[in-house]
Amino acid sequence: MNRQSFPGHLALALTFIMVAAFAGQMRRVQHSQQQRLSACRLTAMKRDAAHPPAAPRAARAPQSAEVIVRFRAGLSFDTIRALVARLNDRVEDRIEAVSNQIIVADEDGLSAEAVAAEYGTLAEVEYAEPNFTISLDPSEDLRFDDVLNQDHGDLDLLDEGVTPNDPMFGDQWALENRGDRDGKAKADISAVRAWSKTKGTRKVVVAVLDSGVDYTHPDLAANIWLRPQSVAAYSDEQLGIIDDVHGFNAADDNGDPMDQNGHGTHCAGIVGAEGGNDIGIAGVNWQVEIMPLKFMSAGGFGTTKDAIQAINYVIDRKRAGVNVRVISASWGSRMKSKALEDVIRKAGDEGILFVAASGNASADADRAPHYPSGYNLPNVLSVAALNRRDELASFSNYGAKSVHIAAPGAEILSTWLGGEYEEHSGTSMATPVVSGVAGLVLSGEPKLTVKQLRERLLQSVDKLDSLSGKVVSGGRINAARAVGVD
Amino acid sequence: MAMTKEEAAQRARADLASRLGIPEAEITEDGVESIDFPDMALGAPVDDEMSGAMISSGWRIRLKAHEEAYEYRADRRQIRLFNFKGANYRL
Repeated sequence: MNRQSFPGHLALALTFIMVAAFAGQMRRVQHSQQQRLSACRLTAMKRDAAHPPAAPRAARAPQSAEVIVRFRAGLSFDTIRALVARLNDRVEDRIEAVSNQIIVADEDGLSAEAVAAEYGTLAEVEYAEPNFTISLDPSEDLRFDDVLNQDHGDLDLLDEGVTPNDPMFGDQWALENRGDRDGKAKADISAVRAWSKTKGTRKVVVAVLDSGVDYTHPDLAANIWLRPQSVAAYSDEQLGIIDDVHGFNAADDNGDPMDQNGHGTHCAGIVGAEGGNDIGIAGVNWQVEIMPLKFMSAGGFGTTKDAIQAINYVIDRKRAGVNVRVISASWGSRMKSKALEDVIRKAGDEGILFVAASGNASADADRAPHYPSGYNLPNVLSVAALNRRDELASFSNYGAKSVHIAAPGAEILSTWLGGEYEEHSGTSMATPVVSGVAGLVLSGEPKLTVKQLRERLLQSVDKLDSLSGKVVSGGRINAARAVGVD
Repeated sequence: MAMTKEEAAQRARADLASRLGIPEAEITEDGVESIDFPDMALGAPVDDEMSGAMISSGWRIRLKAHEEAYEYRADRRQIRLFNFKGANYRL
């Protein structure tokens, strides 16, 4: 090369390098786009699994053959990768939320069905399914660019397993304990694993019987119960017709259950702050219908009569066709009321589980009962509180005969008045965790009876030494096991 | 309207003076301490009252009159007289 031609050659080389780099970048972008499309397809499959369509939808094979394979427990990821490579395929993605579940991409031109059949014959494989694209209705069909440009929470979810994109999720140790703030890693309710199966449904209604709920909170509004048009407004002999748009206010005898205290809003957020919406926190249920009921005033206290009125309202709505299956009751006292006991029993007869706080007196509730958690009824679950180290919280009541289950209840972050979030402690906070898990279970198994639901929750616990002889089940609620992930 | 610790202590003194029928000057303040109560009735429920089972921060106000001790419990929203002649009172 002579000196005169050097600048020209240099320019040519630089141009070539830039073109090559651009081409490489484009391949990376394309690969990333394909991954996101795969995620989108998975999202569609999962959504469809959670809410099966009324009629079968047309399915078509993906352009490049992809198969979802779940390998048997005990196999390391390296072993799995080696197996996949031996079949001349590639590990496209790993679904962290489901152990040993892998997306396999075919590299030698086989159909997805053929690849699935091939993996299905392996002793190491539990199941293998072609990754069909679930076709949307034509009017809803997404173009490639639409998929890339849309900001869809579910896409983000799948990029990270089933961890929600709610920015404060990292502080929700009850759902995923990472060992922060002197906590114990995994001392949680296994919510992330549960969400691989269900994130809840708005077909299940959980009543939060409390100081009302701020139904305008941005993290709650989408999950607040709205009386269906098919259900007539509430009619009470004494109160007349009450336009119960969002629930009932027994403290003021009207249809506006707006919270003026914050306690009820906090409990509601634990049950079902909207998950995956890029806002605040995630509830145990990402989707659910929360029926706000108010019987406690701005001070956080109310009368037994108003509590009974509110439960009576729930029973009425159930009979009118509202699928309210759980009442979450984060309150109580030492006073025993037969009337309250009777109306709770009646709720049980209507198929409603009544989840109640065991109380915060650091006392043995077998000897010093707290009510309504202390009523010995087949639909009552009494809940103790745990701290982030899986220890019974210092304030929590306990009872080998009368307190049934424990759940995280100390330093719990949730929704508060004015669109805010606060951390609070109490068996009040543990109770909606259990109510929320009950909602999750019902989202997949809506026909469970109260007895079955209650037994499921009790039998799904993680036994803890700290709870031995302290609660009936001897354990902390486990959402994943309760919904059948294990 | 949120109540301050000082306002709560003042209301407690006035209430006790009224109940005992004595001038406020005869009531001394033994101490006001910040404390976590076990529930939203500040651990001092009145008859037929249910309250939220949430740990609630507030103040314990200890007063003394004629050699007798009295305890009030307050938070920003409420004030209660604890175990006065065997009963609790919400002011």
